Amino acid sequence: MMKSSVGSRFTSFLFVIPYLIAFSVFLLFPILYGVYLSLHNFELLSVDHDFVGLANYIDIFTPGTYTNSVFFRGLWATFQFVIYSVPLLIFTGLGMAMLVNALPRKIRGLFRTVYFMPYALSASVMAVIWLMMFDTNAGFLNSLLQKMGIAGIPWLTATPWAWIALIITTLWWTIGFNMIIFVNALNEVPEDYYEAASIDGANQWRKFIHITLPTIKPVMLFVMITSTIASFNVYAQPFLLTRGGPGDSTKVLLMNVLDQAFARKQIGSASAMAIMMALLIIIVSLVQMKLTMAKKGDK
Amino acid sequence: MQKKGMKWSSLLLLILVVAMIAAGCSSNSGDNSSNQSSGGAGKKTEILFWSPFSGSDGPYMKKIVDKYNSSQDQYKVNFVIHPNGEYYKQMDIALSSAKDKPSLMIMHVDKVPTYASKNQLQAIDELAATAGISKADFAVAPVEYATIEDNWYTIPLDIHPLVMYYNKDLFEQAGVTTVPTNRAEFDDAITKLTDASKGVYGYVVPTLWPQQFIFPTLVWQNGGQLWDGNDVGFNSPEVVEIVQYLRDMIEAGTSPANVQQDGENTLFLQGKNAIQFNGPWMKSQFDEAGINYGVTTVPQLGKAEQAVYAGSHGFVVPQGITDEKVVAGVGDFLKYVTTNSMDWAESGQALASIPMIESDAFKALEFQSTIASSFEYVQFSPNVINWDTISEPIWAELNNALLGNKTVQQAMDDAVNKSHQAMK
Repeated sequence: MMKSSVGSRFTSFLFVIPYLIAFSVFLLFPILYGVYLSLHNFELLSVDHDFVGLANYIDIFTPGTYTNSVFFRGLWATFQFVIYSVPLLIFTGLGMAMLVNALPRKIRGLFRTVYFMPYALSASVMAVIWLMMFDTNAGFLNSLLQKMGIAGIPWLTATPWAWIALIITTLWWTIGFNMIIFVNALNEVPEDYYEAASIDGANQWRKFIHITLPTIKPVMLFVMITSTIASFNVYAQPFLLTRGGPGDSTKVLLMNVLDQAFARKQIGSASAMAIMMALLIIIVSLVQMKLTMAKKGDK
Repeated sequence: MQKKGMKWSSLLLLILVVAMIAAGCSSNSGDNSSNQSSGGAGKKTEILFWSPFSGSDGPYMKKIVDKYNSSQDQYKVNFVIHPNGEYYKQMDIALSSAKDKPSLMIMHVDKVPTYASKNQLQAIDELAATAGISKADFAVAPVEYATIEDNWYTIPLDIHPLVMYYNKDLFEQAGVTTVPTNRAEFDDAITKLTDASKGVYGYVVPTLWPQQFIFPTLVWQNGGQLWDGNDVGFNSPEVVEIVQYLRDMIEAGTSPANVQQDGENTLFLQGKNAIQFNGPWMKSQFDEAGINYGVTTVPQLGKAEQAVYAGSHGFVVPQGITDEKVVAGVGDFLKYVTTNSMDWAESGQALASIPMIESDAFKALEFQSTIASSFEYVQFSPNVINWDTISEPIWAELNNALLGNKTVQQAMDDAVNKSHQAMK
């Protein structure tokens, strides 16, 4: 590479500054402030905020404490949601992208828009719609089932139905984003690969496995990681639809973190919970990346 | 090249971060009390007034404030509405930062013990005396509740107890001519009102909100206690009996099973639920839906005494508001509200001010005066610090009990154990 002068280095630095400032103000500072809070006994309405070192973290991992029980019960609920939702978010997104791409060019745009539309809705609108759909005794889905002679399903008041309902809602609400990403990825696959494969006598399935999937792998990784992060951060769907019920079985970790912060007013402890959650997300993302990269290396 | 760039940027980052942390820390220290300064002579004293009235009730309070502002030229009340769900978060942050503190806030009466214990509220005895407001001007319950160790903390605005709504058409069809007032009448009515073939139910038992209002009401009616002064009382025989009573309605089919959030209200709006217990704030929704409904006080379903759980909005003054003119202005405004709050009653709320309750204008409001008739026996959440935190586990366990996931006794025992954990 060519040696660059001090001046040009400074110029390029200037271009980075706006982002750097935004990044610092909206991301870096809150994160560091969160770490700071998590090391203090920071009760919102008290004047004294004593430094307590790692006590808030130790509390999370001490069996028998309230924080311990809400953290791990919430984490378990969140984990279940991640495990159920991420594969579906990836494969439904990919499937819909392939369907949309297979449509005649004229109506392709229309369907892309229609499928993407729910993504633009606010959480409360999403919740109102699906509360009406799922209502056990007065909802659309159950009256449909009853017409077909099937007993009503307690969508939001019994497991596993509550999870199924939350996943359906999540797919409906957010799948448009993954779909659009996959549509673009599919369009990037060079047409001549398929032609070559056809000449070699490959069927659709083989083309998909050996051409499409390997080519869109980087995008797949991106979608997998963003979907995982989004699923870890699940909040609105259970908060508005099941209210964490039945009992507290769908009360996800973020609901408990917010309770800890604003119902119990223990900002320090809530920050510690949030940071543990962030660390967990980072670890899971790294593992996903490692696994995907390792496979790539095999080839 | 890359290395050097990194150094540059990391240095800048470091400076930024340090600066911000310093700023963040310093904002917590120092108490500037006179941020709503009174300004020069001839200028109006400004009073910042916070409220959570982001629903249909906001414009009614705005009307009162506007009328007050134009009624005199000494003070100007700046009325701020925060989203209902965010209100206490915003308040906590404002109170803890000491900057942008409001001079006057609306607070639910059952939050007063917690905020007062954290030294966030001013006793208003002196302010009230100066303004000519007396405790006797208000319904007893909220005044007694908000008087802690001889300090009075809140001027009550309204009281909103649980009330009973019923569908008049369904009552007529089922031949129920009187509104039930006790358990026997209630059982009789809901059995008559239930018509499985049409999917009509006498009383649909909610499993989530508004149990926060229903459960305490029924516990007290049954002679149980939520808090005995030292401990939660969720698993006493009285509580178990009344929860079992609700569960039995589901078993008997006078209520459907698996009622989800708002499920009882959806059925009520569809004309398939004859009776609903809910708050006064539901009125406008039923009016809009065009239901032929009646409203009355909650019947006594417990075996001990009549009681009803209520919330209450009151005015509180945060600690640190010391500017004399501002304090005088707050007093003047509150005195005005005490005798000029009919606009607030128009929003559907029953007022706590006795001169207002006894006025002809208020008596002419059938809905609001029905509600006010239960003021003698209203009760609020237990008067203990951090009740929200202590009681939090009961709601999930009540949900379990009503959904039939656990026996009532088991669920209530679990709730007690979790509350004990939360109290540590």
